[in-house]
Parts: sequence; C-alpha cells; structure tokens
Amino acid sequence: MNALLTPELLRRLEQVQLLAARRAKSSLKGERRSRARGLSVEFADHRNYVLGDDLRYLDWNLFGRLDRLFLKLYEEERELPVRIFLDASESMNFGAPTKFDFARQIAAAIGYVAVCGFDRVSVNVFPEAATTTGNSELAYRNALRSVRGKKSAMQFFQNLSALSASGIADFNGSLKRGAMEARQAGVAIVLSDFLDPAGYEPGLNALIGRGFQINAVQILAPEELTPTTFGDLRLVDSESGSETEVTFGKYRLSAYQQSVANYIQRLSEFAKGRGIRFFSVSSATDLGDLLLKQLRASEVWG
Amino acid sequence: MSFLSPLAFLFALSLPAVVVFYLLKRKRVVKLVPSSLLWQKFLAETQASAPLQRLRHNWLLLLQLLLLLLLVLALARPYFAGKTGEAALQIVIIDASASMQATDETPSRFEKARSEALQLVDGLKTGFSQDNQQMLLMVAGANAEVKQSATSEKAALRRALQAAQVTDSPTRLADALRVAETLTRDKPNAEIHLFSDGAGVDLSEFETKDLRLVFHRVGTRGNNQGIVTLDVKPNPEDPAKRALFTSIANFSDTSVDTTVELLFDGQLVETKPVTLGATNTTPVVFLAAQPRDGVFTVRLTAKDDLAADNQASVVSLLPQPVRVLLVTRGNRFLEKALAGAAPNVELATSTDFTETGAKFDLVVLDDVPPAAWPTGNVLAIHVASTNWFEGGIGGVEAPPIVDWKNTHPLLRFVSFDNVQIASSLAVRTPSWAVSLVDSPTSPLVVAGELGRQRIVWIGFDTLQSTWPLRISFPIFIANAVDWLNPATAKADRFQLHAGDAFRLPLGDFGQPTSAKVTTPDGTVKDIPLGPQARELVFGETAKQGTYRIALGTNQLAFCANLLDSNESNITPRNELSLGRHGEVTATTQKRANLEWWRWFAAGALAVMMAEWWWYHRRTA
Repeated sequence: MNALLTPELLRRLEQVQLLAARRAKSSLKGERRSRARGLSVEFADHRNYVLGDDLRYLDWNLFGRLDRLFLKLYEEERELPVRIFLDASESMNFGAPTKFDFARQIAAAIGYVAVCGFDRVSVNVFPEAATTTGNSELAYRNALRSVRGKKSAMQFFQNLSALSASGIADFNGSLKRGAMEARQAGVAIVLSDFLDPAGYEPGLNALIGRGFQINAVQILAPEELTPTTFGDLRLVDSESGSETEVTFGKYRLSAYQQSVANYIQRLSEFAKGRGIRFFSVSSATDLGDLLLKQLRASEVWG
Repeated sequence: MSFLSPLAFLFALSLPAVVVFYLLKRKRVVKLVPSSLLWQKFLAETQASAPLQRLRHNWLLLLQLLLLLLLVLALARPYFAGKTGEAALQIVIIDASASMQATDETPSRFEKARSEALQLVDGLKTGFSQDNQQMLLMVAGANAEVKQSATSEKAALRRALQAAQVTDSPTRLADALRVAETLTRDKPNAEIHLFSDGAGVDLSEFETKDLRLVFHRVGTRGNNQGIVTLDVKPNPEDPAKRALFTSIANFSDTSVDTTVELLFDGQLVETKPVTLGATNTTPVVFLAAQPRDGVFTVRLTAKDDLAADNQASVVSLLPQPVRVLLVTRGNRFLEKALAGAAPNVELATSTDFTETGAKFDLVVLDDVPPAAWPTGNVLAIHVASTNWFEGGIGGVEAPPIVDWKNTHPLLRFVSFDNVQIASSLAVRTPSWAVSLVDSPTSPLVVAGELGRQRIVWIGFDTLQSTWPLRISFPIFIANAVDWLNPATAKADRFQLHAGDAFRLPLGDFGQPTSAKVTTPDGTVKDIPLGPQARELVFGETAKQGTYRIALGTNQLAFCANLLDSNESNITPRNELSLGRHGEVTATTQKRANLEWWRWFAAGALAVMMAEWWWYHRRTA
C-alpha cells in the first residue's frame, strides 16, 4: 500500500485517536468538543429567543409550559489542528534506517491517526526547500500544508514518501515561524534530532507561548549513540561542514555515552519543565513498539 | 660517569626528528558525522574533568623522546670510572681465613669480599680494544691457591670466584702476596687487590718490596669471643684425672657472661659459667676424669660474629709410664730430679749405654759418652756427638749466663738467676736446634729435633755448676722429661692448626693399603697408601674439628683448631702495615668500571612497552 506504514499498523492505528488536553479552538467543524455553541447532538444550554432565530431549535415543550420562547443550544464540535514539525536537514540522513525515514514514519502514523479522527494535519518540513530543488519537492511540501479527511490519507503518505532531506536546519526559526503561521493552536509534534548548535529552547518556547500542546520526539542514529569508528579521527559535520579532531578509543566510549546521556537528560528536563511530552529514540527502534506502546502509555493518543 | 663510545651521541640527532614528526599534522581518518555537536560536548566534558588532558597528546611524544634518549645513552655505553680498575693486570687476592667467616657483614665477610670481587670482575675492560685488562684470582686460606690464572674471560673469573671456599685456618696472606709480588715485579701496569678484614695480617716481610697493593677492607666490627689456647696435661695432684687449660679471649668492648662446656667424645662433662671482661683473656681450667683415649672439646656458648673459634678440641691419650734410662757415673741430684719429674717415671740407671733390646722412651747421658749413640730421644749432659754440631767442639771456662728463652716449653718456670758454671763445651748453634741458654761465646743449652729424634743438650757438667742447688733444676728436668717423652710428641702430632697438613708415620701400623679419614662434617675420604708409604699425609684440614682416621684396624683421631688470638681478634683494620715504614690504607675508591648500558636498554624497553600500551589504549 505504501512504504511508510504496514497495513497491519495502519489497521491498528485506526483504533486510536489523538488526545487533546484543551478544547479545540479551530473554526472549522470537526469531531472535537469546543467551547463554541452550535449544531450537534450534545445539549448545552437554553437562551431567550430573539428575532430571526431558527424556529427549528425552539424548545416547544418549554413554550407549552411557560408560554415563553426559548431556544435550545448545542455544543459545536470543531476540528483539532495537528501540526507536525518534521526535520528534513542533512543530519537526518544518517542511521539505518535513516533518521529521516523513521521520522517520516512517525509523521505518517500521527497524521493518519489525525485524519481518521477528522482533524486537520499540517506538516511543516524544515528547512525550507532551497529554490534549486525541483518544483515537485515544493509541490509535495505545499500539499502537506493542510490535509483533512481520511480519503486524503493515501495522498498524504505519497507526499511524505516523496520528501528528501538536505540542507542546514534552522530549528528555532522554523518552529517560531510555524507557531506564528498557525491560526489556531493545537497539538504540535516535533520530529527532530535536536542537534542544532543554536539550541532548541527558543523554538520550543515559541510553540508553548502560542498555546500548543507539544509532543517532541528526538531521533538519534545508533551510530550517534554508540560510535563504532575508533582511532585518530577528523569528524566532518554533515550540515555545517565544520571539522572536529578527536582521538577516540574504546576506553573512552563510556565517557562519550555519558555525555550523550547528559545531553538527552538536559533536553528531557527542559521538556518536562514545560509540559512537553518528550521521547528520545534510536532510529533502529521498532516502530510499532514506539507508536502503540510508548506514545499510548504517555497519552499522546488513546 | 664516562662513556665508552661517545660517538654514539650522534644518534641524539634523531631526537629533533621525532619532534618534527610531531609538528607535522597527523593523518587522521576523515569521517562524516550527522552532527559534531555531541562530539564537541563530549570533548568539552572530558577536558573539563581532567586538567592534564591538554598534555595528553604530548605524552606519546615525551615517551618517545625518553625512549630515544635511553637508547642513545645505552649506545654510548656509560660507566662509572674507577682509578683502581685501570691496571692491565689485576691480581685479586681474597683472604679466606677464619676471621672472614665473621657474620658482621651479611651474610659473611667472605661473601661480601666475593661480591666486591665480582664487581671488580664486572668492571674489567675486555674486548678487542687496546686496553684489554687481565685478572688473576688467588684465594689465601690455609695456603695460597691460584684459582684462576690471568685471563680476560669474565665467565671463568666468575666461576673461579664462586668456587672459592672460606676456611678455618689462620691468615696466611704472605704466601699469596709473595706470588703476587713476583707476578707484578717489573710490570708497571699491574695491581694487587686484597680483599681482607686485615685481621692477623703480617706483612713485615714486604717492607722493602714495591707492592702495589690496594686493600679492600671488609668487616664492620669486632664482636667476638674465642678460645685461644687449649692444652691437656696430667693432673699432678690426682693421676686419675686430666687437667685442661684453656684461655678464652673477649675481643669486644663489652663484658660478656657466657658458659664454657667441656665435652669428652661428644658427651657433655662439665659446664662453667665465666665472665669475660672487655678485651680480656680469661683462663679456665677443667679437671676431668678420662676413662680412655679420646677427644676433649671445649665449647663456648656465647653468640658472636665468628663461630669458628667458639670450639676447640684436643686429643688426650691416657698417660703411659715413661721409661727413662739414666747413664751416669753417679749423680744424686739428677736421679732425684728424674724420679720426681712425673708421677709415672720408671727410672733405670746404668753406667754405659749400649743398644740393648730394652726399649726406653728417653735416655739421659750424664757426662758418659755412650758406646753407641741412642736413636731415641736424648738428654745429653756434657757429652756431644760429632754428628750434632758443625765446626767442632771446643771449651769455655766460667761462661756467664747472659740470656735464656723462657718462652720455650723447656724453660717454662725456669730461671737461671744465680747459676754459675765452672766450664762448658763450646759449640755453634746447629741449624736443627735453638739455643735456650746463652753465654757470650757459646750456647750452653740447645734443644731441637734432628730427624725424628728430639735432643736436649746441656754443654756443662751440672755437678760443676750451682744449678742443681737451684729450684729451677728439677723444674727443667721435669720439663725436659715431658718434652722428650715420645708420647708428648705423639700427642702434639694429633693437634694442629686448621689448614696444616696432618702427618703420621706409619711405622707402628704395619702396612695398611689405605686410610679412611672422616672429616668433621661427616664426609669420608679414602687415601690410598702405596707399599712404600712411610707416612700418612692428609692436607684437607681447612675446617676445624675432630678428624677420625681408620687405618687398618686402628682408630685414630686428630683435631684441627683455630687457636689463634690474632685471628680471633676480628676487628677490621683500616690499614695494613708493611713493616715499620709502609702501610696500606683501606681504599674507598670505586672499584669497578660499572657499565650501565644494560640498565638504560632495559629502561628503554620498559618505556617502549609503556608507549605501545598507551598508544593502543588511546586508539583501539
């Protein structure tokens, strides 16, 4: 059916729906409860009839008893905007499977869950595609800007599959721009390796300030967690091209792993302090395990 | 420190090369990583945790420089120069006398001397160079032995040194030095290295010799108590008992309380506590019954540095009657004196001596020329055999007595004060005898051993002198009977200094074909005796103690003892005196050209292994 998700996984994903802690603020109709009053089956309140109201919503029983006109109000159900920030920088091309593939699989799964729940999904792929990249790439990205309805799921998957990762990510800038662009805050999913020299704090803060409920997934390659190349090395950064000279031996492996753990730990603490659900996974992790166990256990969806 | 091949320092030019290699950029494996962020964090964290990490990269450089430096030093062959080690021929003499057994050095003075001599061997310059040195090794124990003739071969010298053994004998360095002096004579580039404690060394005979002697002193202190004399006598008061006279010297600076044990054939007989004053000699007398011929051993229980002199043994034979034949025309004084000379004298008197079947232990010829001269021991008064004296026999009237040797056993407790002599025979002292009493023109009494015959000759008629009226006369006769008694001579034969050869005439033992000698440490030596053998000679008496001989059916024993107060005084001497004028001071100079390259090479190996390990720890 598609390369991203197996049919089995899709079938199981249909049974879950995204959980939102806040009422939906979208202006479009959907299946989420909202503060707005409108048309649905859920009764909410009464109000006095004013001239011009639809007579279909008059409470005739009350009129018979009290001889006054009251209008029945219902809760309006709105959609939940789900915004996925997908890191498509050069650094996501590493690992087996690549971190970018893994991130796309997560994005597809979340997007599928969202469209199945009549929520609108928009995927922010950053960095912005360079003008030199083909028009098709830009087209795919634009098509991912707004996806709604289960029938568009296939197209959504195809567009995701067609993406490629390259360039230098501006993590903070992309997240800030995304936060400003969003008309309504909703659920934000950040899929990145969080390895931006400029840090990650301003971007995440911008999303929080806009009122997003953030789920962050840090995807690292196994090679990053446990390096297998030893000796006198000159390490070239895939994005910036900067070089770092390192003499690395097995005896320093645990020191390296400790500093990676420290980095993840700081990131995790930052997220926890701001109500962000944070996951750090290796790109070699079993996708089903992550989606159906870890995300469910931490109530990203249920 | 000097260097045998300083040219090797040219290799030090490689040191800057290593630095240059380090200055060149190291070739690194280029690797593309997703992000160097984690690596930078890692580097920042590890560097922050160890301030010395900055130096970390240089440690390999330092190790390599050190390695090269050590190798260059090893190639340059460094050594510590010693002036004394420069001579082309070095004669090493190791004192192997008893005092070298002293344990004030660990494990003993001899071992110390051995190890110092080994250092000297190590420092020997050998090879194909011009200054090839040779060494000759002598060990001066009971006798001087050349253990290794002059050679440059270090292995042979080491072997010879390791085979050297210490003995219980007194110091006899003179022989070794005499040999060494001969070898070094007319060789300006030769040296004699003497390893000794200097105890009991008498070098007066080298007073006028040009002896290039380097004295290496061993020993630190003189804490020793030792038995210096031991003698066994019949007890004059109780003929059934024997009297043992021993004197014990304490050479240390402190008074010592100890006990002296007397053993007879290994059985403890008596112990006596004694207090030995500092640097004093204490006489101890034991009276002990003796049921049979046997060996008395005196043992000192004090703990001191030298064990060899803490024990001495003496063979004691049961007293036998002394059969004396007096040939005289009548001499009451002499008869009385002879009869009372010893408790067991059997005196016979005759007017003439003929070689009869009767066996006498000694014959006294009192102014009677015999028909045939006796072959046994003789006390001859106013008669002389022409065989005894060279240059004829004259006469002297009223010779005054000017001197007498009261150190001789014959003159023990004898004084010639108030003795006047009417006339005497005049002779010249023969080579076989010593003069005991002298007048200005002629000896008056001589004593000595001619062949196997002991002779005491008195040149004047005692009845023509005032001597018989003096108390010294019977004492002298008693001494003479004791000295001339063949049993005494026999007993003396069984008593010798360690290192002296034991000699035993085989006349009384038939014709045994071999003798078995059991040494004090239990080893048995077989000595074959030819049919013409007239004497048993056993020379391996380096160890003190009792040696037992099985000769046919006869069981004999003889004792080798140190009994030498010079040797027991083990205080190390700082200088050896060569007679009155010369002296040799103990050297403090470095004795050897100790080559050090092995140590540098070993260090280089260790550094190389450390460097290897360090490098692989970093990168593997």
